[in-house]
Amino acid sequence: MPFPTKRSHLFRRLLRHPCPPTRSALGIIMAGGAREEQERLAATFFILPQGMPMQITPLFKKEVLGDSGKLMAKQRRFAYTGIVPILLYMGLFTLFPILWAVVMSFFSYTPIRQGTWFLGLGGQNPFVGIDNYIELFTGTGKPAEVFRLAVKNTFLFTALVLPMNLIITLPLAVLLESIGERFKTLFRAIYFLPTISSSVALVIIWSYMYAPGWGLLSIMFKAVGLVPPKSWLQDPNTIYFGVPLAMLCVVVAHVWQDFGYNLVIFVAALQSIPKTLREAARVDGANIWQEFWLVVVPLLRRTVLLTSVLTVISSLQVFVIFQLLTRGGPKNQTQTMLLSIYENAFRFANNLGLSAAMSMILFIIILILTVTQFRILRTEWEY
Amino acid sequence: MNKKFLFVLSLLMIISMSLSACSGSAATEAPASTDEKVEIRVWGHQAPAFNAADQAMFDAFTAQNPNVTIKYETFPWDVFIQTIQTSLPAGNTADVILIPGGYTCRYAAGGQLLEVPADVMTLDAAKEMFYAAPLGGQTCDGKLYGFPAEYNIEYGGAYVNPALFEAAGLTYPPKWDNWDAVVADAEKLTAVGSDGVMTVAGLHYANSDQLFTYFLAGILEQNANYFAEDGKHFNFNSPEAIATIQKLMDMAQTNKVVDPIIFNADSEWVGESFAQGHNGIGILGSWYAGDAKLAYPDLKFDYVTLPPMMGSEYKFASVGGWGYVVGKSTQHPDIAWKLAAFLGADQANVLAFNSTSGTVPAMKAVAADPKLLESAPFIAATLPLLDYGQYQGFLTDPDQLAYEIVYPTILDAIQGNLTAEEAANNINTAANEMVDAAQ
Repeated sequence: MPFPTKRSHLFRRLLRHPCPPTRSALGIIMAGGAREEQERLAATFFILPQGMPMQITPLFKKEVLGDSGKLMAKQRRFAYTGIVPILLYMGLFTLFPILWAVVMSFFSYTPIRQGTWFLGLGGQNPFVGIDNYIELFTGTGKPAEVFRLAVKNTFLFTALVLPMNLIITLPLAVLLESIGERFKTLFRAIYFLPTISSSVALVIIWSYMYAPGWGLLSIMFKAVGLVPPKSWLQDPNTIYFGVPLAMLCVVVAHVWQDFGYNLVIFVAALQSIPKTLREAARVDGANIWQEFWLVVVPLLRRTVLLTSVLTVISSLQVFVIFQLLTRGGPKNQTQTMLLSIYENAFRFANNLGLSAAMSMILFIIILILTVTQFRILRTEWEY
Repeated sequence: MNKKFLFVLSLLMIISMSLSACSGSAATEAPASTDEKVEIRVWGHQAPAFNAADQAMFDAFTAQNPNVTIKYETFPWDVFIQTIQTSLPAGNTADVILIPGGYTCRYAAGGQLLEVPADVMTLDAAKEMFYAAPLGGQTCDGKLYGFPAEYNIEYGGAYVNPALFEAAGLTYPPKWDNWDAVVADAEKLTAVGSDGVMTVAGLHYANSDQLFTYFLAGILEQNANYFAEDGKHFNFNSPEAIATIQKLMDMAQTNKVVDPIIFNADSEWVGESFAQGHNGIGILGSWYAGDAKLAYPDLKFDYVTLPPMMGSEYKFASVGGWGYVVGKSTQHPDIAWKLAAFLGADQANVLAFNSTSGTVPAMKAVAADPKLLESAPFIAATLPLLDYGQYQGFLTDPDQLAYEIVYPTILDAIQGNLTAEEAANNINTAANEMVDAAQ
């Protein structure tokens, strides 16, 4: 099948593009075959999940395209027509709230006090510089103390969720990959169901399971002769290896609800590993365990990194399950950053300035993790 | 040039749209003639009984005022609170709002509510008409800002389960002379399973509202005050406060009438727990009777009067109660106040509202009306107490004080993790820091 010369030229340039993500995005479909074939596929599927919109931009740049003829001008107009409304939408509902939060974090701002005409800032909502941040890091007030505890709890939650999630999803994905196509689809759907179900409904189910005395878990414990905890979610004195029982319960419920995402990603990644590599390992005498550890796992390194970073970021932002299952209790043992932000902004005090400062700290933590993600994912990989 | 132009245009559009979204319209007088069609927006929270009662009164008002149409908008509780928090300052609220008592002064002080015009009702006239506690929730700095629709009372009454009383061999319905008699019955009602887990709490008082209410009431019953001398800060580590916490602790730890690890605000909530037969005496406001009747039609129960806990006289603080206020952004203040007075100051309408919603009346004449008990018999237990209540006062942030400071600290104490002195000191420190932070 003939490939348009100009586009072929374009994609050759893109494949040599100095930006590693651009190359790696295209690299996904570079698993074997002639270079021309790879380019043809790349031309067909150049907008890939990892491609990110920013990597499409060079397509419309004069220096990349070389000639800016009428067709290119039309394409540029088309692109602008499509991009401007999205930019406006993003500006109004994403960028402005972010900027607004940044500004508010430097004010002692609450909407119930009357400020000046300019967005209610000033007046009774005075500029306080970095006082909100200082309060959060060193203050002795209840909100600051609870927030510092919430930061610790959030990281503890993430540190528990990540390994538990990977320990479940990776072997499960390998098992799923090894069974027949019909059952594979069925099980994949079953495992993905909690992920697409209503969080509120799932939390209600888990709250019945964790009910003290008559809950399903307590009944199961008693049935096998074990003594269940007096209260799964509300006993502040039951702590295992430094982890409160209530936190463990939330972690289990969250992992159950969330592991479907990573499972699907792992199954997709396993399917993309060329069978020839695994067959070659078997020919060389590798058993199933060696094949898994020495062939499959190394080839999934990038996927493991990706799922790890995604899981960490999503764990930092979990809200519904904490709000509905424990509301931060007992004794703030399950209080998280997002819960603190919500409570200070909307439940107590309406101190939006302090809450904005909290959200900025969360934003910076996630930003650092995201940048780290991009750096890690820039590593070369091809198979 | 094109890129710059597009960028600047986009930026201007974003800024102008944001500013227009955030700017409120100023309140302007726009008196409507009798023929002019006027739409009045009313906001309330979603509560079937409240909404039904309000809707019936709206229909009656529009029948009397055919030029007025009423747009009634209701929100789930959390959304409602967030909506008024953001909309009132922005001036984008409804004309009339049914607002919780503790919130009125907060917004009135910020200039976001209109004062009740003297020709509609003066504060002195309101004092004659309403009980002090709910009226306190609708006043601020000696000015009247609304009409209380109900009297929020979480004190002095409890739900009792006849089947559990009978099984324990206790007299039913109970008539207690003092608090010790309540605790004695509660001890007999309490049941613990073979695994040591409490299955029935004899007396469930460990809910957030109840611990807060009885903490303040316990101080007042001992003729002390929980405010410091400046009227803004608190005196929560007084001997009376410590004694009250100790009493709450003793009932859990010595009398063992409740296990606060299992029975609290987040686990075995008092209302649901009572309906499922998990507590024999459940301390909760009479407002739950209507909900219980709907959710558990076969449930047999009564609502009875409790004696004072810490003294010989009833004394308690109340958050006030829901009330009708008018936002400063209304375009039709005359009609808005006419409607608010129709809803909250007309005896027949208030009687209809309290009867339909099952709420305790804020209006004295309605409380004395025998028709009230025909439709809401459970209110009878609280009616004798209404004169003993006082408005809780300006607590800076009532929700934060109740749910983030007092409740978790006392719960911690009754769970055995703090002494009464430690709990009182912790509450005092945190509450006063809250006041300082808000200065």
